[in-house]
Amino acid sequence: MLNGTFARILLADNNDSFTGNLAHLLHAATGCVPRVVPYGALAGVSPDACDLLVISPGPGHPEEYGGYARFLDSGLPVLGICMGMQVINGHFGGITARLPEPGGCVHGRQDRIVMDGQVRLVARYHSLHCARLGVGLRITATLQASGSQRVPVVMALEHETRPLMGYQFHPESFLTPQGEWYIHHALDFFRHRC
Amino acid sequence: MHSIFSVTVAEAALPYLLFRLADEFGADMLPGAPGERGIIGVRPVRELVLGKDTPRRALQDFCFDVVGWTPTLGYLSYTLGLEGFGLGTVKPQSLPQGHLKQYAAVLLLTSDGDGRLQAECRTVRTQGPQGLLGRLERVCRESAAGGALPEFTPPLPRGGLRERLRQSLGEAAYVQGVEAVLERIRSGDTYQLNLSTRFSVNLADVAFDPLRLFLHFWRSHPAPFHAWLNSTNAMTGSPVRILSTSPERFLRVRQGEVLAQPIKGTLALPRPASELSPEAIAVRGQLLTESPKEDAELSMIVDLLRNDISRHCAFGSVQVPRHKAIFAVDALLQMYSDVTGRLESGSTCLDLLLDAFPGGSVTGCPKRRTLRIIEALEPHCRDLYCGSVVCIEGPQTMESSIAIRTGWYDEGTGELCFYAGSGIVAGSDPQAEYRETLAKAGKFMRAMER
Repeated sequence: MLNGTFARILLADNNDSFTGNLAHLLHAATGCVPRVVPYGALAGVSPDACDLLVISPGPGHPEEYGGYARFLDSGLPVLGICMGMQVINGHFGGITARLPEPGGCVHGRQDRIVMDGQVRLVARYHSLHCARLGVGLRITATLQASGSQRVPVVMALEHETRPLMGYQFHPESFLTPQGEWYIHHALDFFRHRC
Repeated sequence: MHSIFSVTVAEAALPYLLFRLADEFGADMLPGAPGERGIIGVRPVRELVLGKDTPRRALQDFCFDVVGWTPTLGYLSYTLGLEGFGLGTVKPQSLPQGHLKQYAAVLLLTSDGDGRLQAECRTVRTQGPQGLLGRLERVCRESAAGGALPEFTPPLPRGGLRERLRQSLGEAAYVQGVEAVLERIRSGDTYQLNLSTRFSVNLADVAFDPLRLFLHFWRSHPAPFHAWLNSTNAMTGSPVRILSTSPERFLRVRQGEVLAQPIKGTLALPRPASELSPEAIAVRGQLLTESPKEDAELSMIVDLLRNDISRHCAFGSVQVPRHKAIFAVDALLQMYSDVTGRLESGSTCLDLLLDAFPGGSVTGCPKRRTLRIIEALEPHCRDLYCGSVVCIEGPQTMESSIAIRTGWYDEGTGELCFYAGSGIVAGSDPQAEYRETLAKAGKFMRAMER
């Protein structure tokens, strides 16, 4: 990191189909072209080679993606999106489980979340959610409560001391207005932590 | 290419002209939507049959290493897309991974918007094959006012389809498949998956002409991306006639401007759209646009298409200028969106196509794991179904469809096959998805019985 900028962005692609949208969003927000590396090739990448790691969404359960541990412990700023957030949560002992019925999984829908006291409209694509928070993490956004919902659904979290942040929703979706704001928001947070 | 002749043809005479071109010249035809340009290739001079080991370089060379304007027509199979994800298939394939052709002569059909078409013949060399060009011009002129088009007669008597129809996934198996998909959605392995079934009918012992069926579809079930292509069975080498009646564009590139038009959300109409008033269609269209399930299904594919074109589009250029628009095709209403972008200067339309292949609206999302699940759940090989019919005119100019509502007839075995499928999302009702699948195959099935 040079002068508070994150010029070298590593975008880890968990064989997802939204990673390209995330690359374009990161470019729009920072002016930098992220280096996209598939999850399978991550072993060859050093945390020192980048200023910021963004973990893409992806199919399946975060337990399938053990390769992020050394990045999460390296002190490197990490932003996890959707399954990427669940990876961060899992690393600190949190539990990812199916979204409870009724309602259950949500894919391709706009919903309202409450983030730092503000209501925001975002895109949701997820079957699983953060059912128990990992140690040292705190919730910074939840789904705006609706009638059928019994437990709060975590929509964003951050680490209490480390530069780690996660969004359960999809800032890169065309259904999320002002997607770039969420990248700036994360970068501001990382600047304060680094 | 050089313009050889141009003939004015009455729009109503087009089916007759198409018949003669296919019948007498073995033409490959993408007649185009009303108001859009059609293109017909006559006498192939170069062909590329894609196998499992054909490198991308070979496709690029074939399409672009040419002198002057030389359009390439043909198709890319869904199975080519599987290879692109390193998946491949172990199921027996009936068609190659793709089949592309360039021609001695090309006919361009452009509508004047007033009931007439211009059929313009172009060739690469001014000294074209004179015999062929002369015959072609004569046929165009003879057909300009129309002629006696041989009628299509369904090959089977009433009730005769039931005992001949084979289905890879019957009702019970399809419903079971949908339930398996729903479980994978709940596990987060896929967010949306298109499950298809393959229908086949053996017509070897009855009178059946696939060309007449194609022209019957073209007249009775207008759709923007009809195509008639001649290919060969990958295993036996016997001729295969491809009938594509797709309503769906995949990717269009014009001077580097990219347009994707994914379709999601289907509503069966009580009668063909042509018999309903615009108001009646609008009211039903609202059922689609206001349905949370259909909305989510389309929105997801829009994000998928944004992703799939982003790799070869300039940063900041990918947009969604239109979302949840409605159009009618056959007795179905469909919802679609426009996704646009600008082709990156170092990329060709073929790079774009191959890296976005197969089209997201007929796979599901996220693609790689979803393709794997499809491969496990479907007993049949999709072959060309859910692949694309393409017309590539240059590195920055291309049109392509999603090969749905598509079938082919194998002249060797006498088997006609066609496919239909449906997008499964959280909240899908298995029985309703099966009914939607049958509705999409209805056009082929109804054409089988007298």
